[in-house]
Amino acid sequence: MPEPAPRLELPQGTLDLLILKAIALEPQHGWAISERIQQISNDALQVQQGSLYPALHRLERRGWIKAKWGTSDSNRRAKFYDLTRAGRRALDAQTGAWRALTAAVGLLLDTP
Amino acid sequence: MRVLSDLRHRLRALLRRSAVDAELDEELRFHLDLDIEKRMRAGLTRAEAARAARLALGGVEQVKDAHRDARGVALAESVLQDLRYGARAMRRSPAFSATVVATLALSTAALAAVLTLGYTLLYRMLPVERPGELVDVAGIRRVSAPERLSTSEAARLQVLGPVSHPDYLAFRNGARTLSGLAAHYPTAPLFVTVDGRGREVNGAVVSANFFPLLGIRPALGRFFHDDEDRVPDRDRVAVIGSNFWRAHFGASPSAIGAHVRINGADFTIVGVAPASFSGTTNMPIELYIPTMMLRVGYRWCDDALAADCTVLQMIGRLAPGRTLADAAAELPTLAPAAWAHAPQGENSGVAVTAPRGMSTDDEEPRLVRILGAVAIVLLLVCCANLAGLVGAQAAARAHELAIRASLGAGPRRIARQLLTESAMLSLAGGVAGVLLSRAFIGALAAMFFAADDEGHPLQYDFSQTPLVALATLGAALAAGVVFSVASAKRFLRPATGRRITQRAAARWSSGAWLLGVQAAAAVAMVAVAALLGASARTMVRGRNYDASHVALIRVRPRLVKYSADRAQRFQRDVVRRLEAMPGVESVSMVGIGSVLGGSSIGVALPGWSGNQRLVSNYNEVGPRYFATLDTRLIAGREFDDHDAVQSPPVAVVNETLAARLRPEGGALGATIVVGRIERRIVGVVKDLSLRSRTHERESWVYTPFWQNPAQVDSRLAVRVAGDPAALLPAIAREVNGVDPDVPFAETITLESRIAALMRPVRVSATFVGYTAVLAVVLTAVGLYGSLAFAVARRTKEIGIRMALGAARGRVLGLVVREGMTVVAFGAAAGVAFAAAGARIVGHLLYGSADADWIFYASAAALVVCVGFVASIVPARRAAEVEPLVALRCE
Repeated sequence: MPEPAPRLELPQGTLDLLILKAIALEPQHGWAISERIQQISNDALQVQQGSLYPALHRLERRGWIKAKWGTSDSNRRAKFYDLTRAGRRALDAQTGAWRALTAAVGLLLDTP
Repeated sequence: MRVLSDLRHRLRALLRRSAVDAELDEELRFHLDLDIEKRMRAGLTRAEAARAARLALGGVEQVKDAHRDARGVALAESVLQDLRYGARAMRRSPAFSATVVATLALSTAALAAVLTLGYTLLYRMLPVERPGELVDVAGIRRVSAPERLSTSEAARLQVLGPVSHPDYLAFRNGARTLSGLAAHYPTAPLFVTVDGRGREVNGAVVSANFFPLLGIRPALGRFFHDDEDRVPDRDRVAVIGSNFWRAHFGASPSAIGAHVRINGADFTIVGVAPASFSGTTNMPIELYIPTMMLRVGYRWCDDALAADCTVLQMIGRLAPGRTLADAAAELPTLAPAAWAHAPQGENSGVAVTAPRGMSTDDEEPRLVRILGAVAIVLLLVCCANLAGLVGAQAAARAHELAIRASLGAGPRRIARQLLTESAMLSLAGGVAGVLLSRAFIGALAAMFFAADDEGHPLQYDFSQTPLVALATLGAALAAGVVFSVASAKRFLRPATGRRITQRAAARWSSGAWLLGVQAAAAVAMVAVAALLGASARTMVRGRNYDASHVALIRVRPRLVKYSADRAQRFQRDVVRRLEAMPGVESVSMVGIGSVLGGSSIGVALPGWSGNQRLVSNYNEVGPRYFATLDTRLIAGREFDDHDAVQSPPVAVVNETLAARLRPEGGALGATIVVGRIERRIVGVVKDLSLRSRTHERESWVYTPFWQNPAQVDSRLAVRVAGDPAALLPAIAREVNGVDPDVPFAETITLESRIAALMRPVRVSATFVGYTAVLAVVLTAVGLYGSLAFAVARRTKEIGIRMALGAARGRVLGLVVREGMTVVAFGAAAGVAFAAAGARIVGHLLYGSADADWIFYASAAALVVCVGFVASIVPARRAAEVEPLVALRCE
């Protein structure tokens, strides 16, 4: 088993972006979203579960995601979150912005 | 789109809160279950997994709170929640809530009553169209200092005076800054006869443009045409007030065209004024006639329309775009040339002011200020009381609040909830206070503002304005914040866990100074109220006269143009008839002003050179005047029936004038010059005046009524054996029986006349008395509450003391001593406050200050006694503590 990567604190504002990305393929419920972020980041990113649900609600209010009650794998009622069109646009825009930012910061840090 | 989605979510979150909360609950439960399963797969037991999952989620309540914050309605929602909690808290401790609301209501009602009083007396505008544009224009007169003015009043020896009709025309025709200027004489006594029934009413002589300028429309008929106010004595037309219309014509349209006799002249009624308007002064006007009829309405000038008869007041409306300052700059330039070198006492300048308030009395602004200060002190006492009460309540709730805190409610949240509860209580108190103040101001109006000192009805619009209501609610809220901040502050601190286990110790000491302040205020208010009340009583009986058995009536043959001869015959007949009435002891009269009043005159000794003289108060009084007032003569005699025109001129002086004329004594028998006539002093009488403590002693000289051959009118004083009020109708009938044509008025008792003159004293005595009662009750309640609370908190300590052998008497003494120490310190400070307060109301105090200490001592004793009673009850409860029960109860 590989040594787990050290846990990183999420920079301010990135949780929204990660949530959008996590549900970009298919609708997910809250727990799955946090699991997915953790898995894909190889456990490097730990979602503060306490802040997940407020963030979900914030995004929903902004009209970027929409919630629908559905049935989970274990056949229980669960709330699934899906990207809206506005949410997909926001994801694209924010992904671009994030890339530009990290590239710029990386460039700066790489400069001897 | 986004805005819409946002709004929809917020609304749903706010309106369907429970549904949203239930969904969140379900979602979180689902999350937890999945998390637990995952952790159990990793090898944890169910209990360990559940604990870890909960930790990871970070507290369900916190998540919920954060989620609610994210809903964007957190503030509105938690305020709603606070309000719900608040309402629940109020229901749970109804006694506490009722006490707070009642206390606040009783004190804010006093404040609201004062604010309404001040607003009406000093600020309220006339009930006419665009009243903000109106200006009063008057002449300024320099007057010599009458002796009775105190030094502070001597600084402003300018009075505003009315103008003559030619003066008015000069201002009206010249003014460019005014769109109109009307003239009016608003206090014309008119003796009106309708269908053979005669009575005196308060009338007004007004220019034809008076009603249009004020923007008033007639209720019926019309007002005066310009043409009807152009030729002297030609157009005998009258407008009647709404009350007169109802009283004499049953509000029938047939009033228009009806004939009435006014001061002996025939008039035709052309219109009725609306009920909403009854004049510009506090004396309601029942009848209006045009200025060209001034000779009918005003009898003290040979020609009322001549340039030397100054009787008219002026009211104007500013031209569009003009300000008060513009008018104040322009109007003096229009003053008649003669004003530039007018002698003292005549118009020499022009004053332009905005008509505000119904006050006619220089004392009233000061009265309002004093009452306002008293109301604020009362509110502070109320705050101190409630701070103690709320502190005790908060301590009792510490347990509940600590539990809420440990369940995750932030300290700020708890503080906000406490503030919300206080705000709810204080707003409820404020609303109740605003409503209650209507009753207060109604009572004040009925008791003190219904009639003037001559018995004429007065009108004041004491209706409540939104401004006053808002200010009162603001004061109540401010008071609420003040008294709750202390208790809320304690919960902003952390360390909640300790508070649950360790119940707050009785914080008796922090409330002690609050109670001391209350006791001090109570003592001061009781003392000042007693001083004022004693003053008001002194003025009715005791100041060298006895007003309790004297009836008054005024006869005015001048209004019906009687000659001096005929009028004097009438007067002698009246005196004879009244003296013959059963129950009447003596009858006398004054020729100038009113009974106990008069005017002023120069007095000199024959040897004095040139202009040297004393200015003295003066009146012409009938035989037996001093006997009628029950005033003692120090030397000589008073006037009798032999002091007539043919007999040698005589005078009576008061003690003060006698001492000023002849400091070495021997005034009796001396000759003095009163005005221009040499008179021999035949009597020296005790001082007889209505001066308060801050006024200097007054000189008085009296001359015989019957030694003035020009006498026409008089005010009669009738001393009776029984109740003078009961005899008033019989006296009026008797006077009317002598000559039904002669107008009479002001049939009141001397007592009620003095009461009306003493209005500021009586208003403040009543008001301060009210606050004193409230302050004493609050002190008692506060003391009782604090001690009872402290005893309840210290049951265990007391139990231990008793278990260790403390006697019950000792425990009793311990508690009583604790209460009485506070009260004693408070009472001592209160006596000092009372002395300061007595100085502030010095101008309202009558009689000697020698006995004031009795009032201070009694007030302190009263508050100490009340304090003792309030402490003995909880002290006895403490003494009845059973040590074993007390120790077991923890």
